[in-house]
Amino acid sequence: MPQRHKIELTVNGKKLQRHVEPRLLLCDFLRYELRLTGTHVGCAHGVCGACTVLFNGSTARSCLTFAVQADGAVIETVESLAARGPLSPIQRAFYEHHALQCGFCTPGFLMSTRELLTHHPDPSEETVRMALRGHICRCTGYVNIVRAVRAAARKLREEGLGRDSEP
Amino acid sequence: MTANPNSSDDGIIGRPLPRKEDDPLLRGLGVFTDDIPEPPGTLHAVFVMSTRAHARIVGVNVADAAQAEGVVAVYTGKDFLGRIRPVTSDIPQPGYQPVNRTVLAIDRVRFVGEAVAVVIAENRYLAEDAAELVGVDYEELPSVITVDQATRSDAPKLHDETSSNVLFHASYKTENAEGVFVSADHIVRDTFQSHRLAVLALESRGCLAVYQRRNDSLTLWTSTQIPHIVRTAIANLLDWDETRLRVVAPDVGGGFGCKASVYPEELITSFLARELDAPVKWICDRREDLMTTTQGREYRFDVALAFRSDGTLLGAKARIDCNIGAYPTYPLGASVEAGGAAIYLPGSYRMPEYAYETRAITTTTCPSCVYRGVGAPVAAWATEVLMDRAARDLGLDPAEIRRKNVLVPSNLPYTNAVGMRYGSGSFDTCLERALAAADYAGFRQAQTADRLRDGKLHGIGIANVIEHTGQGTLRYRQRGIVYVPGFDGAQVKVEPNGRAIAWVSQCTQGQGHLTAFAQIVAHELGIGFDDVTVVEGDTAFGTYGTGTFASRGAVIAGGATLRASNRVADKIRRIAGHVLKVNARDIKLADGRAYVSGVSEASISIREVAAIAHSMHVHALPEGDSFGLEATEYYDPAVAPTSNATHVAQVSIDPGTGLVTVVKYVVAHDCGRVINPLIVEGQIHGGVVQGISSVLSEAMRYDETGQPITVSLLDYLVGTAADAPDITVLHEESWSTDTAGGGFKGVGEGGVIGALPAIANAVADALAPFGAKINRLPLLPHSIVALMENSAPAGGEAKAPAR
Repeated sequence: MPQRHKIELTVNGKKLQRHVEPRLLLCDFLRYELRLTGTHVGCAHGVCGACTVLFNGSTARSCLTFAVQADGAVIETVESLAARGPLSPIQRAFYEHHALQCGFCTPGFLMSTRELLTHHPDPSEETVRMALRGHICRCTGYVNIVRAVRAAARKLREEGLGRDSEP
Repeated sequence: MTANPNSSDDGIIGRPLPRKEDDPLLRGLGVFTDDIPEPPGTLHAVFVMSTRAHARIVGVNVADAAQAEGVVAVYTGKDFLGRIRPVTSDIPQPGYQPVNRTVLAIDRVRFVGEAVAVVIAENRYLAEDAAELVGVDYEELPSVITVDQATRSDAPKLHDETSSNVLFHASYKTENAEGVFVSADHIVRDTFQSHRLAVLALESRGCLAVYQRRNDSLTLWTSTQIPHIVRTAIANLLDWDETRLRVVAPDVGGGFGCKASVYPEELITSFLARELDAPVKWICDRREDLMTTTQGREYRFDVALAFRSDGTLLGAKARIDCNIGAYPTYPLGASVEAGGAAIYLPGSYRMPEYAYETRAITTTTCPSCVYRGVGAPVAAWATEVLMDRAARDLGLDPAEIRRKNVLVPSNLPYTNAVGMRYGSGSFDTCLERALAAADYAGFRQAQTADRLRDGKLHGIGIANVIEHTGQGTLRYRQRGIVYVPGFDGAQVKVEPNGRAIAWVSQCTQGQGHLTAFAQIVAHELGIGFDDVTVVEGDTAFGTYGTGTFASRGAVIAGGATLRASNRVADKIRRIAGHVLKVNARDIKLADGRAYVSGVSEASISIREVAAIAHSMHVHALPEGDSFGLEATEYYDPAVAPTSNATHVAQVSIDPGTGLVTVVKYVVAHDCGRVINPLIVEGQIHGGVVQGISSVLSEAMRYDETGQPITVSLLDYLVGTAADAPDITVLHEESWSTDTAGGGFKGVGEGGVIGALPAIANAVADALAPFGAKINRLPLLPHSIVALMENSAPAGGEAKAPAR
């Protein structure tokens, strides 16, 4: 039995302490140990973007990250966007613009969109497309995702919100 | 909008309502197979996959794996002999050679990835460790990768039970199909080779088998498009009482055809859950998915079109070979791609004569089956490319030759050369609307002979396409496909509080069934959209059914839902009429109430009607009516409705790198009566971009020994948001003439069908100065450069632009 390592981290605002095997992937830690199954694994080799989480505020592939690397980190997953209340402005825009079909890739797109709009409150279509090119959506053709992201940006600007939601 | 005798919708059908599915998916509360909480004691399966394309299995050594940490058991193919029956793809009938497949290879492997052994361990990590320790001794056999290799006289025969590698063949011709090629003024012909594609649902396959020993029952959660058929297959192949089996497709992360087969892993996990009396889970990783999940669309089409000198199309001839890989799959069998391609070729043109020969050929590659559009995108690609070449040869504009031949209203109803009936459509209207929206005329006017503008080559391409949707029982019997039922069913039930639930026999993988079918129920019962819940994908509820593929959701499940809703509505009207003392015919349902027509003050709420039906009200049921407020209906359309569309694509090509950019994309589309325009547009967007990606970047490749060499998403390149265009969609609504089902036509595949020919023709147009003939896919940058360098310049005038 390989040695387990103690990690302390903050996930969706909650401080946690766990002992994990060194080879345990962050995505598996989130999904199977914390039961945060909104983070999906679409390829496990860092291309499809479905497993994207915010790692100390920046997007990261949880399938290419070991849980031990998250020691001391602040992790945010899709479950943090609107815990119990109404959908966040980005989620709402995805809903209104039919920007998801099967929904498997959606959590990753939401996390990258959140990062994008934090830095670019008024992104052009081109900027949105380039910012999301690390994600694969097999269903929507990206048309409605791009429209939703720009609509969410408008909404956030109108409401004077710098960010989709605060953790 | 096409004038419609059925009157326009003023209810909930036709509204762009956001989807019921979305809220949990957006919150990360979706439940895909791998998200289901694992019951205590769940064991994990990992398969040992063949590393050889074709080899005899000399021995499998599982001793080390069996001793490894956390391992519960290791099984080889022999362990399942006599316990899990081989899967047989087809029934014996003329033109078919049925093939049997054991769930694990026993004596011989026939593709890289075919499972040889399965390791069961306490967790996935340990199961993978142990799988590495299984040793397989192979004695290599010659592999056959292409249809030519597989059909040579000295080709190794893949399956002992057949006489050759041609597992299906069929031919057909209309009376004067040969004659028109003798009398034609002009014939265009070419051989078109399309490439193998991975279907690539973003959620790969997976299942969780949970056994209950107390009553020998099983629940299998599986990422499938066909839960009922999976259940029947388990019952038949594992000798299990079907009533004790429940198959559930939970949230499913895309299907596109690759989850429309029953897979060995579903049978093995079900078997082992009973054998080991423990839950057994298997999740396919992406590499395994690219090696083992059914692929598609590898065809060779030899097509000729015959024309009069004025551009009138007289007929077509086609010889089609489809590479179906190592095994046909259950339930669609060997013929589904090859047969479908042949009958798809007559599209939206008047084409009186047609002859085809078609074959499905087995090779030592991953099994191939249906992928969105099946053979239609390739058939449309071949015919539309030839349409453009004929136009050029005859001095016509590509738009003009299409105007000349496209079906017009006076042709309808039209029975095409293979006997398919188009009851309604807007073929010419879609052509004109798409050309106008794309400013085709303006583009042509501005276009120069060298196609150059701002250092890029610019081209425009048109495609007229049809989509066979909602194929019912008769179509599958005609096609020789016996294991696909063809019907679907719905059970609609109003609860005592007036809210309705519909159990529908299909399952949704993103197509929005839970929204669209709720719109149908709400519309027909006159209740609110929020008062309807649709449940799908669970064999424990509702009727048996076929599943969701081949653009059959809206037509067949939608039709069943409509018919069941109508029967419930009839009963509501009878009860309301009884209470309000008027004839049931005079009752109208709207806004949650049953009204007497024209007397708005005389009404009763549907909630009260529901209470009466459940004997919880002072009023009793009318004489002759029984308790409850529910109905079950099946639907099997007499004629498969045909959707139609025109796609116009504009591309630019970097002459230095060969990189193609899609600049503009317009679709004018007609899928009959639209249930939800948001969902319809989403289906078109997604189909178009899958089509573009399949032409410009995706390619599943095998080396000469049969090793798949694109088994990661770093090698199998799927288009992203940065590669995709914005898309303009225009709607026409020619309701299906089969009004028994509500007038709906399907929309799942049309986007992809039109994208292949539209992009290919736009690229050919941009490369016109080079005389480039496009007859192979994909069109990757290096193949574009090769086309510029190696084609014979048209008229010898143009030369390659400076790089």
